Amino acid sequence: MGFSINDKLPLPPVGAEKKNVTCEFCIVGCGYTSYKWPKGTSGTPKRNALGVDFTRQQPALSGVWASEQMVNTVRDRDGKEYHVMVIPDANCVVNQGQNSARGGAMAATLYNKSSFTRDRLLDPQVYAGNNLARTTWEDARDLTARVLKKIIDNEGPDQVAFKAFDHGGGGGGYENTWGTGKLFFSAIQTRSAAIHNRPAYNSEVHATREMGIGELNTSYYDTELSDTLFVIGANPYETQTNLYLLHWAKNLQGATVAAKKKEFDKGETAEAARIIFVDPRRTASITNSIELAGRDRVLHLRIKPGTDVTLMNALFTYILEQGWEAKDFIRKHTENFEKTAKANKTSLSDAAKITGLKAEEIKKAAEWIAKPKKSGHRPRTAIFYEKGVIWGIKNYENIASIVNVAILTQSVGRVGTGVCRLGGHQEGYVRPAPPKGMPGRQNLVVIDAEAAQGNYLAFFAWGCNPFVDSIMGERLATSFKRRSDIVKKAMSRNIGADNETMAEAIYRACKYDGGLFFIDVDIYPTFKSEVAHVSFPAATTMEMNLTSMNGERRVRLSEKIVDAPGTAKPDCLIAAEIANALKVLYEKEGNKEMAKRFEGFDWKSEEDAFKDGFAGQGAKMDSQGGPTGTLATYDLLRANGNNGVQNPIVKVSNGKLVGTRRLYTDNKFGTKSGKAMFQPTPQPPIPKQVANQMKKYEFWVTSGRLNEVWQSNYHTSRLPMPSTRWPIAPVPINPADAKAKGIKSGDPVMLYNDYGSVRAVAYVTEETRKGELFMAFGFPNSPVNNIVTDFVDPDTKIPFYKGTAASLRRIGRVEDIAGSMSFKNRV
Amino acid sequence: MKDESTTRRGFLKGMAGMTAAVAATPALMASGTQKKDNFYGYDEKVVGLVSRIKSAGSLDFNYPDNDSPCKAVMVNGQIKAYSLLCTHKGCPIVYNASKRAFRCPCHFSEFDAELDGQMIIGQATENIPEILVRIDGDKIIAYGVNGLIYGRESNLKG
Repeated sequence: MGFSINDKLPLPPVGAEKKNVTCEFCIVGCGYTSYKWPKGTSGTPKRNALGVDFTRQQPALSGVWASEQMVNTVRDRDGKEYHVMVIPDANCVVNQGQNSARGGAMAATLYNKSSFTRDRLLDPQVYAGNNLARTTWEDARDLTARVLKKIIDNEGPDQVAFKAFDHGGGGGGYENTWGTGKLFFSAIQTRSAAIHNRPAYNSEVHATREMGIGELNTSYYDTELSDTLFVIGANPYETQTNLYLLHWAKNLQGATVAAKKKEFDKGETAEAARIIFVDPRRTASITNSIELAGRDRVLHLRIKPGTDVTLMNALFTYILEQGWEAKDFIRKHTENFEKTAKANKTSLSDAAKITGLKAEEIKKAAEWIAKPKKSGHRPRTAIFYEKGVIWGIKNYENIASIVNVAILTQSVGRVGTGVCRLGGHQEGYVRPAPPKGMPGRQNLVVIDAEAAQGNYLAFFAWGCNPFVDSIMGERLATSFKRRSDIVKKAMSRNIGADNETMAEAIYRACKYDGGLFFIDVDIYPTFKSEVAHVSFPAATTMEMNLTSMNGERRVRLSEKIVDAPGTAKPDCLIAAEIANALKVLYEKEGNKEMAKRFEGFDWKSEEDAFKDGFAGQGAKMDSQGGPTGTLATYDLLRANGNNGVQNPIVKVSNGKLVGTRRLYTDNKFGTKSGKAMFQPTPQPPIPKQVANQMKKYEFWVTSGRLNEVWQSNYHTSRLPMPSTRWPIAPVPINPADAKAKGIKSGDPVMLYNDYGSVRAVAYVTEETRKGELFMAFGFPNSPVNNIVTDFVDPDTKIPFYKGTAASLRRIGRVEDIAGSMSFKNRV
Repeated sequence: MKDESTTRRGFLKGMAGMTAAVAATPALMASGTQKKDNFYGYDEKVVGLVSRIKSAGSLDFNYPDNDSPCKAVMVNGQIKAYSLLCTHKGCPIVYNASKRAFRCPCHFSEFDAELDGQMIIGQATENIPEILVRIDGDKIIAYGVNGLIYGRESNLKG
C-alpha cells in the first residue's frame, strides 16, 4: 500500500528557462523540453510557461502534462535551488510529444539529496585502508597518473586495459567517446580495450559493414511507408518504444496509406503494413501488433533458439526459387551472388526440421517479404534485427544471413526499406584509430577474460559494469575481487605515504603479486566500487552539453540544464584531467617525447572536446559524422532543436544544418567495388561450451531487456516505479515446467550451471515455452551473465549471451517479494 | 516529486509559498464544501453502493470532480477504486475483469487492480492513481486520491 499523497505539481512561470534535452536512454532518442525556474517562484494554473490552462482537464493524447516523475528540485553550484520539469516535446518528429516509461522519468533521475538519487558520486575517491574516501581531483588524478606512468614506462601501454562506453546518450556522446578515445588510443596508446557490454573492442555488426551496408541506413519516417516489417530477435515495444508506438503503429493501422501513395511509384499498391517477428518467445510487441494490425497481418515465427541462419537461408532459397529476387539490382549492384546462392541453399523441409517452424510459415514469410504486390511492384520491406541475433549463436553469420535476404530483395536504399539494427542505446562514436598493431576482428583479445586470468596491471571500468555486462560474470567478479584485494593490502600497508610512495607500492603489488589497479569512472557506486582503488565521479545527460545520434542517424545537442552533483565532471574532462596529470609527470622528468603524447587536452568545457573531435576531425578519424561532421557546431545544432540533423550532414543552408534521410539511394555501397556483397552463411553449430552445459542442465536460458529497466539498471533500480516493479530479475517460466518443479510466481529460484549461479524470481507465464527460460538482463543484484559461458564468436569476439543452459531450483518463499510485484501476464 | 514543499502534504503544512497552490485554495473555499477534518482537502462523496458492486462486479463514478472518471472493482473481497485516465497519455483505460487489470487501448499499458494499480507493463511513469474509499453501511465513500491524475497539476483543480 503506497501512502504518500502526492498530488500537486509546481508549474514553470512564464519566462522559465527552456532548453532541449534528448532522452538519455534508448536508441530512439526522443526529444524533450526542459523548464527550470528558481524555487519559490511558480506559474499559475492559468498562466505558466507551458501555455496550458490547468483549470481545465487536459485531453487525452494531445494534452500537455507532466507526471510526478517529470519534475524535480535541484541545487546548483551557486547554492540556489531550482525546480526542473522535463516533458516530451510535441514538435519533435521522433516522438511527437510522447514519452516512454524510461524517458518520462528523466527529471526524477536528476541528483536530489532528498531523493533516491542521493548516492550519486560527488567527488573523486581513493582507497584509504578500509573503504573509498572522498578526496580532491588533484590527489586522485596525481596518484592515478603516477601508477599509470610506471606501468607505461616499465611494462608498456598494453598493460593498461580499459573497458568503456562507445555510444551516445547518457554515459556517452561524441564529447565523451572522443575524450576517452583520445586518452587511451592517442595518449596512453594501449591496445587492451573492450566495449561497455562485451569483452573485446569490436563492432556488433562487422558483417553488414563488410557487405557494404552500414547498420543504420533508413529513417523512422520510411518505416511508416513499409509494406512489410521483418523483425528478428527484437522486442521493439519494450526496447525501441516510440519508434514502435508511433511510426510502426500508424503503419500497421493503415494510417499512412495516403503518405505511401505520395511516395510510391504511380499505380503501386499501398496498404497497411504487415509484420513478421522471429523470436522463440511470445513478446508484448507481438500481442500489440495483433491488436493494431489484426491477426492475419502478424506472423510470429517461433523459432528454435540458435537457428536463425537456417531460416534466413531458407527464405533466400525460396524467394530465389519463386523468381522474386531483385534481378536487375543484383546484376548491377551486388557481387558474390552465385556462390552465396549455392552455399546457402536450404529447402523448406530441411529448414522446418531445424528451426521447428512449419514449412508453410516460412513460405508465408517469404511471400510477405518478396512476392510482388497486386500492382506487380516489389514490396517495400524494412528488416530490423537486434540483440536476439547480434548476441546469438554466431554473431557474424547471424547478421550476414539477414543482410543476404535484404540484398536479394533490394530492401535497402528504396523508400520504405532498410536493413538495420534496431539498436539499444544511441550512438556517439568518434575516436582515433586504435594504436598500430591492434589485431583484426578474428584476433582481438578478449580483455575481460584476460584480466580474470591475471593479465594487465591497471584496469579502467569507465561508465560500465563488467560484472553485470560481460561473459561468465561470476568468475570475472571473483577474480577481479581477488586481484583488487592484493592492491588494497599494499595500499593499507602504506597509509599516510605520499602519492609517489603509494604509487610504487601499487605498481609492485600489481607487477610482482598479481594485483590489478582498478579505476572506476561512474555516476553511482556499484559492486565494482568495491574493487576500485580510485574512483572519479562523472556527469551525465542534462548535467552537460551532449551530442549523440539516434537509430536514424539524427544528431541533436542535448543541452546542459543543471550542474553536475558535487565536483563531478563530464567524462571527456575526466580523461583530460588524467592526460594532463601524466603530461606534468613526463615534463618534470624532462621526457619531451612522452609529454607530447599527452598534449591536446587543454579543454575548458565539453564543447572544446566536441570541436576537437566530431567537429574537428572529419574523415581523419573514425567518426560517425564522416567528412562533413566538421560542418556541425553547437550553435547550429541548437538552432535545429530536437529535430537535429541526420548524418551525414549535407550542407548548411540559411543557418540550418541539412542532413540525409536514407542511405544508399544511389546504390553505391561501402565495399571496394561499391557493390553490396553477398556472403555464404552456413548454419553454425552449437558452441562446444554451450553444448556441454546443455548435456548437463535441463533448461535453455536466454535473456533480454525489460521495458522499465535500462542498461545495468543504474537509474532504474533507484526510480520508485521500476524498483518496486522489479526488485530483482524475473525469470519467466512456462506453467508446465513450473508445475513439475513445484514453483509458483513469486518464488525465489536459483539458476545454476558450471559457470556460476544466479537468483531470480519465478514468473509463471506462457511467454516462454516448455524447456526454455528467459531471464531479465542487466540486474546487478541478479546478473544472468553469471551463468553465461565464455564462448565468443571466433570471427568477431561477440559473446553468445543469449544461449546457455542451466538447471533451476526453487529456494522457497519470500512473502515481501511475492506480494509486492505483479505477476500477471505481460504479453 | 521529492521536494516536500511541492507536495500537497507540504502545502498543507504551510511550507509552500507556491502561488499555484494558493490559487487553488480560494476555489475550494468558495465551494463551501471543505471540512477542516477532510483528508488533505478532498471532499467526501458517496460514489455507489456495496450491494450494487457485488452484483455488477464494478462501478463507474467521477471523483474528485466530473472531469475525472473512475472505476471501483471488487478484488479479493475488497473494493478498490482507480482513476480511468492512463498516466501515460490520458487515454481511458479498460477493465479486464478476468485478469483484474486495466489496459490502455492507445499504448497498451496495463495496471494491476489487485496491487494498488501497479503497472504490469507499459509506458506510463506512474502507477494508476488509486481512489481512496471507505465503506459506511452499504455506501461506498470516496475520500481522497493517491497519485496525480493525468492532465492536472493538482487533483483538486485550481
